[in-house]
Amino acid sequence: MRMTGPLERVLGAFLADPAAPRYGYDLMKAARLPSGTLYPLLARLEHQKLVASAWETPQQEGQRPRKYYQLTGEGIRIARLELARAAARRRRVPTPAGRPAPGSLG
Amino acid sequence: MRGERQLLALGEYLVRRACRQLPPDVREERYREWAAELPAILHDPQVRFALWRAARMLGYAADTLRGTAMMPGTARGRIARLRAAVDVPLPVAGLVVALPAWAVVQAPRDALNYLRLAWGLLFVAYLIRSRVRPAGRMTALLGTSAILAAWAVLLGGAALAPGDWVNYVLAAVVLLPLLAYLPFAWWHRRRQARTGGHNAADR
Repeated sequence: MRMTGPLERVLGAFLADPAAPRYGYDLMKAARLPSGTLYPLLARLEHQKLVASAWETPQQEGQRPRKYYQLTGEGIRIARLELARAAARRRRVPTPAGRPAPGSLG
Repeated sequence: MRGERQLLALGEYLVRRACRQLPPDVREERYREWAAELPAILHDPQVRFALWRAARMLGYAADTLRGTAMMPGTARGRIARLRAAVDVPLPVAGLVVALPAWAVVQAPRDALNYLRLAWGLLFVAYLIRSRVRPAGRMTALLGTSAILAAWAVLLGGAALAPGDWVNYVLAAVVLLPLLAYLPFAWWHRRRQARTGGHNAADR
């Protein structure tokens, strides 16, 4: 899995409450991603069996059912691992040029 | 909300167009899923202003067009994204480019027509670019240029008819969002540079 900024946000949104099923618009708001970025990501995660989806049962007459997404057990494990790796990578990012790293000057 | 049915119909039309790019076996399911979100966005209790909710709903629907070009199973890559990008703006391009182009042919000595044509070209270039790469620097440059060109067109109109207050009002309406946006863009870029492109909530 290649970790990108949008994927990191989506996984982060799922992991905020891994047991809660989330619908598309809810994830859009939580991950702050537009629909054109979110849905291809969800489709890919679903294809990799990291996310499972299910249709809700309409509560009222005439209400359109929404599709809910949830991380699978494997999805939770991989999401936690990948987010931890991404966080570790960020910690290793070198300091900007021109500014010496702490402790590097004698 | 007034005009809700028409807004939903427009949103559903955009979603249906987006789904046409998908393989037939997933098309109907995607349409059902995305169309079901439209009324929920339009009635989102967390967004206070109806106009903003309507804009969000239409933005959601329009952006599915970009998304379908990147869905698994569809043709991917730059050309597919470009095709999806020009899908909606083409009728708009027809209006904002063809009309001033026709006016230039009719009155080749009128400088304002050339300015309108330049605005139309910049606007269409921005529409296409913003759907291919929304966060790119070139997108921001094209958007800013289109706004400034629109402003120049309105000021040109005001110079020709100094008594017509509509031109002044429209010039202010066009320029004010840009003046508000530029400090925000500067702040956002600084914040991204500080956090390395990630928000604290993502960590």
